This record gives sequence, structure tokens and C-alpha cells, in this order.
Amino acid sequence: MLLDYDRLGWLRAALAGFTALVAAFLLLPVIFIVLLSFGSSRWLAFPPPGWTLKWYQELLADPAWIGAALTSAKIAAMAAILAVLIGLLASFSLVRGEFRGRQILRGLLLTPMVLPVVVFAIAIYAFFLRIGLAGTTIGFVMAHTILALPFAIIPITAALEGFDKSIEDAAIVCGASPLQARLRITLPSIRIGIFSAAIFSFLASWDEVVVAIFMASPTLQTLPVKIWGSLRADLSPVVAAASSLLVGLTLCLMIVTALLRRKLSR
Amino acid sequence: MTANAFTRQSFAGLPAGSGGALPALTLVGLFFIVPVVALLLRSVTDPEPGLQNYAALFGSGTYVRVFLNTFLVAAVVTAVTIVVAFPVAWMLAIMPPALGSIVFGIILLSMWTNLLTRTYAWMVLLQRTGVINRTLMGLGIIHEPLPLINNLTGVTIGMVYIMLPFMILPLVGTLRAIDPMTLRAAALCGASPLQAFRRILLPLSLPGIAAGGLMVFVMSLGYFVTPALLGGTSNMMLAEMIAQTVQSLLNWGLGSAAAFVLLVVTMVLYAIQLRMVGARRLAGGL
Repeated sequence: MLLDYDRLGWLRAALAGFTALVAAFLLLPVIFIVLLSFGSSRWLAFPPPGWTLKWYQELLADPAWIGAALTSAKIAAMAAILAVLIGLLASFSLVRGEFRGRQILRGLLLTPMVLPVVVFAIAIYAFFLRIGLAGTTIGFVMAHTILALPFAIIPITAALEGFDKSIEDAAIVCGASPLQARLRITLPSIRIGIFSAAIFSFLASWDEVVVAIFMASPTLQTLPVKIWGSLRADLSPVVAAASSLLVGLTLCLMIVTALLRRKLSR
Repeated sequence: MTANAFTRQSFAGLPAGSGGALPALTLVGLFFIVPVVALLLRSVTDPEPGLQNYAALFGSGTYVRVFLNTFLVAAVVTAVTIVVAFPVAWMLAIMPPALGSIVFGIILLSMWTNLLTRTYAWMVLLQRTGVINRTLMGLGIIHEPLPLINNLTGVTIGMVYIMLPFMILPLVGTLRAIDPMTLRAAALCGASPLQAFRRILLPLSLPGIAAGGLMVFVMSLGYFVTPALLGGTSNMMLAEMIAQTVQSLLNWGLGSAAAFVLLVVTMVLYAIQLRMVGARRLAGGL
């Protein structure tokens, strides 16, 4: 009875009410920030005394913000490409390889996801200080690729496990080389997994704060570092404008993902 | 190289099919394992060989308080998250998909929104002159603004907000896997809804609650951003302490020792969780 939606009775109303409350709790801060970014109060009064676009103008006129966003995009794109390529190769081994220690290898490659990021952040910072990569784009990309790799490997191995290898073998029987069969049969079949891997590993780098705080230099700042710095200084409404653009980006990515998944799985 | 990695033949004496993992292994070895091991070594060699960093860590009231506070915050956050997530997961597991997908969409939107954005929202909402305090004062419920930020309350609200999706989503899976027939049978045999909940539904969902709760607890232990922005100086958490020790105090030995403690606790709890999830899968297969 407790798991029958139609026969819950009064409990259903209670559960539905509570779920609605929690959904509001999850949604309201996001909406609140977007509304606030159009409010005219410098001290973030709510409801705003008037509406304005001046925080967006201030944001878009500031080269430091634009530069930080471009740096973030560049680093995230490079980290995502590296993570997907390396993750793709590794996934073939993890799913199809026949060697001892495969499970240990999988665990090892996924560890960066479970280790507290602050531990990795100071470890890689100390390491890069020693080998001269601290505060460089390469160092940034390498550190973020490590963090993004699990987010690439998980969806690709899942897709590969769901792919029937006999189709690939059939292509080889029909005369394709093993490489051709993989590139033209297997890769297109697991494209949803590869696509998810690309999105997730991009976001893993784009949203990453902790490693970035350590890696950043005055000349190399990602967007989260810039936001972090502003938050520690004051709660300027310009941050609300930047945050709203990030919310917009999240929404776009969610919609694109949903649409592409629908299209690709057809 | 690419062709080699893609074919199944072993080369250079490597076992069959392992070649593709080489680039990943090299990268993780060089930029993950080496730095982390070097850091841990530093905890017993910096500034001189010995265990003095650990002695300092566990001998000082300040640091012990940070440890206790970290565990306290993680425990409170986990408990609140479980209590809030369970009814939502329950509803999501049984409600019509059309309605449910709206709630799922909201959960995903919140989960995917930039972490700093969400924390910023709570900083603004919870501040002395924030919406929550103003509304409560406007309604006449309170006369003085409540201290909602820079303390345990602020950290708990902000962290629960971030952890909820990680608890709700797996719990929906657990609850969906329970056969509704068992509960119908309980009702037929005369069990009251409360009895059916306590004796059937709750025990059957316990593995999911435990696994999700452990994950939230582990993630909370090492969290940096939200406690640093919503918490106060008097109740600092471990991750922030580690970052400060290294970045501001430049005390690498002590920072590394604290990082090692965090790493060991995390890995032990993670191993327990893996075992539990594995055991649950085993039980599901029977």
C-alpha cells in the first residue's frame, strides 16, 4: 500500500506537499540569483527597488571577467578533449582487456573522483611548484584532466558494456580492418556515452574551484577563481550577473543534452 | 600508437588489451599518484624526519577541535539530508512519470548549477539583512535578525542544499526496486501503515539509505568551498584548515599530515561503502 500511488490516501498529500517544498527549496536560490541580477540595488535588496541591466553592462565591460571566462573555456575544452581521448582508449582496455588487475586499474583511474579535492589540490600544487608548472596553462589543463578523467571513463565504459561486440566482429569478418571496424562501427554506436563524457568532463573543469584557487596566478585566472575572489571581497551584484549567465549556460547544456540524447538514441 | 592501442594484440610484452590504458595510467601516475605520495612523505620529512607533525596535529586543542567540528558538521548534514531526501525519493519512486520528470528536472538543474553560484545565493539569502531575516521580521515572528551565516546553521543549510541530489537520486533507485506487493501483503495481514513503514519499507530501503548517507558523509568531510564561505572562523572545517595551513602559513609539513588524515578517513569509509553496495548487489542477485 505504501508504494501504491493511488492507494496512499492522506499520506500522498503529505508526501506530495513535502516534495513540492523541497523542489522549491532546490529551485528558489537559482531563481533568486537571476532576479537579483536585474535588480537595481547595489546592496542586493529584495524585492529590488527597480530593474536594470547595469550589472551585466559592468560585467561585460570588465576585461578581467571576460578574460577569466575565456581562460576557463580554453582550459575546460582542452581538459575535456584530453580526458575523452585518453578515457576512450582506457575504456576499451577496462571493458575488453583480459589481464589481471583490471578491476584495480579501474578503481585507480576513478580515485581522483573520491579523493577530497583539497588533498589533490595541495599535492599537485606542491608538485607543480617543484617542476615549474605552477600557474601555467599546461599545469592547469593536466590537473583538470586528472579530475575530469573519471567523468569521461564512467559513461564511455557504460556505453561500451552495452554494445554488442559481435557487431564489430561481423564487420571484421566482412573485410574491415580492426581499426576500421572500431572507428566506423563501434564509435558511432557508443556516441551517446562519448557525448556525455565530453559534457561531464568539460563541466568538471569549468566548475572546478579548489585546484584552481591554488593553481591560479595574477595572470592566469579561471572564472570560478574570479568569482571566489569577488565573494571574499564583497557580495557585488556583478557576481549575480555572472552567476545568472552560468545558470543560463547550465540550462542550455541541459536542453541540448536532452535533445541530442533523444535524437541520437533514435 | 593509436593503431596499436586500438588493436587487441599485445605489444612490448604487455598483457592482451591493456595497451589502451597506458596513456591514462601514465597521466594518473605522473600527475596524481606521484604528487599525492610526495605530499604524504612530506608529512613525515618536513621540516625534519619524524612524526612531529602528527604530534602537533593531535596534541593541539585547536586542531583537535577542527577534527571534531568537521565530523560534527558532516554528521549533522548527513542526518538532515537523509530525513529530507527520504520522503522526496519515496514520492518520486511512485508518482506518475509526467509529474516526476518536473521534480527530476529541478533536482538536475540545482545539481548542475555552478557550485559557487549556489553558495553565493545562500550567502545573500542568509545574511543579516537577507530575504529570510527580513521576511521573518516582517511577519513579526522574530524581532532581531537571526544569525544564519558564518556559523553551523549556515554551513548546514548550504551543504544540505548541495548534498540533497546525491541522496535523493540513488534512493529513488532503491525504493523503485522494492516490490509493492510486499507492502500490500503487509496491509492485507493487518499491519497499520506505521507498522508497514517501520517493519517493511524502512528496513528494505536501509541499504540505500546507508550507502547514500555514507557517500554524503564522506563528501561533506572533505568539502572546502561551502564551509569556507558560509561557515565562521570559530568552526572551521578540515579542508579549509589544510588549505590555510599550506597557503597562508606555508606550513607544508602540518598541512600534509592533516591531508593524510583526511585521505585515510575518506578511503576507509569509501571502502566500507563499496563493500556495502557490493553486498547489496549480491543480495539483489539472489
